[in-house]
Amino acid sequence: MHPLSPLLSGAKSIVVIVAALSWQTLSQLGTTHFAMLVAILAVGVVIFSVIGWYNTGYQVIGRELRIAEGLIWRRNRAIPLDRLQSVELRRPLLAQLTGLAELRLEVVGGGKTEAPLAYLTVREAGLLRERLLALSARTQAGQSASVAEPAAGAAAVTTAQAPLYRVRNRDLLISQLLTPQAFFLPIGVAWVVTQFVMEGSWTFVGIASTVTAMAGVLLQPIRRVLGDWDFQLGRDRDRRLVLHYGLVETRNQVVPPFRVQTVRVIWPFLWRKARWLNLRLDIAGYSGPEPGDDKNSDRLMPVGDIATARSLVAAVLPGVDLATLATSPPPARARWLHPIGLRFYGAGLTPDVFVTRQGRVTREVSLVPYARLQSVRVVQGPLQRRLGLATVYADTAGGRSGVARDRDLAEAWALAEQLAVRARAARVGGS
Amino acid sequence: MSEPPSTTVDALEPWPDTVEWRPVSPKLIVVELIGLAVWLAVFTAGLGIAWFFSRHPGWLIGIGVVLLLGVWRAVVHVRAVRAWGYAERDNDLLVRHGLLLRHLSIVPYARMQYVDVTAGPLERAFGLATVQLHTAAAASDARVPGLPPEEASRLRDRLTALGEDRAEGL
Repeated sequence: MHPLSPLLSGAKSIVVIVAALSWQTLSQLGTTHFAMLVAILAVGVVIFSVIGWYNTGYQVIGRELRIAEGLIWRRNRAIPLDRLQSVELRRPLLAQLTGLAELRLEVVGGGKTEAPLAYLTVREAGLLRERLLALSARTQAGQSASVAEPAAGAAAVTTAQAPLYRVRNRDLLISQLLTPQAFFLPIGVAWVVTQFVMEGSWTFVGIASTVTAMAGVLLQPIRRVLGDWDFQLGRDRDRRLVLHYGLVETRNQVVPPFRVQTVRVIWPFLWRKARWLNLRLDIAGYSGPEPGDDKNSDRLMPVGDIATARSLVAAVLPGVDLATLATSPPPARARWLHPIGLRFYGAGLTPDVFVTRQGRVTREVSLVPYARLQSVRVVQGPLQRRLGLATVYADTAGGRSGVARDRDLAEAWALAEQLAVRARAARVGGS
Repeated sequence: MSEPPSTTVDALEPWPDTVEWRPVSPKLIVVELIGLAVWLAVFTAGLGIAWFFSRHPGWLIGIGVVLLLGVWRAVVHVRAVRAWGYAERDNDLLVRHGLLLRHLSIVPYARMQYVDVTAGPLERAFGLATVQLHTAAAASDARVPGLPPEEASRLRDRLTALGEDRAEGL
């Protein structure tokens, strides 16, 4: 690890500590005492980080990455590289200033990202990533015997990228202005201001706390703009997806195409006028669905029009054309369960993916490749039984399932059977 | 039940001609009933003590309600255990369960990550075990309770063998 890393990770903890101490403590202690307290804690944290850094190391042995860390609780972990899902190179603001980067490896099974290697120099991180991915690809090829070329990229330093798509920052700004949070922002500010004017209590602490609390909720669009800034999607020689985005914290993510578990196409209500879509992809290893969490690196396209979306979907899931995905709605008697949005539900089997769509206000289409299917479930509740309906779930390792709601029972069985058969065919055919 | 006339399928009996469902051991009913009885005993004892000290008739009504609920749960348990079933096909394991909310899971052997065989003290006393199949998707549930130990280990061995044959979990 780079010698500067304890300082950087220490800085992160200090921010957390200051946030935890809150404004209240600041007013109680006074500025000098507060500064002293923070300084003492900072020194402690840095010392702790230095010790931690001293005992942390990694090495690549054969097809494994071994990471050792910890002083009191020593932990050695070996990560088999053929299980690698995606590799992400993150550079928070401080790391950008110092020319360092954090390497995050995604493997299945961990609730959170396992093994973040923080921090390495950018060059070192890039090299290591190339090496890990090459090793990973080699084992993959050896296993499935479908790829003839044994990933000759050991010497490659730079990821040669053929850019597929980049988001214009103007579109990104406009698209995030068209979110509910952005609409609520002025209302929230006005509410706070009027409250203070009415009560006439202009304490610094009060204002600061309110602003901080509001920032957490209402500044989501801004965070999203910062996070998705300068979004670029490319593809390297081995046909892996290379994503690059972020302003304050840049992320550079490499995803082998066969690791994509699901692709979701989201069409928010307010974007309809502009004919914009949002594409997200799920990779096994990232934690499950958490609405409103922007920490997940699941972007495929923050904003773009239908034509772009079509080409991107075709790039990620070869042979899938977004425009020709036919779905059929549930039978009409399901309207008892969905009085409003019935015709926006649907499911369909296409040659390569299982398509489901749902949502009246925010329309959403999920594509689940058969080859990634983990299991199929059919669930029937009491109301559905009365109506002769059932819901089919197609589970993937990404934590999200393709859900075909309220299908006719006979159709549900046929769907489940077809899914099972097609999943097997896709597996056997070399995934 | 207002089944549409076009379909004669039942939620728990798909593909009746191709799939041979195996029931779980009826001894599971006894296990579940004992578990239920323990809970009932605890509740009624608590309520009984309360009644003993306060002599308020409300507590007796409470006991009555708890017992009625217990009887209803017992009926549900018996039927639920009868509804539980599994079937091994060439490439996947089918598990069905539930009465009110009916579930059917189809889990391909190739997607198996690991198999759990568990047996609680009560299950052990009756010579039963639970086999659970885990895949990489957290949502998959393929759990078969109430298997005799030899059947459980047979199923486990078969699952692991098939899983190895068909390799690659993701």
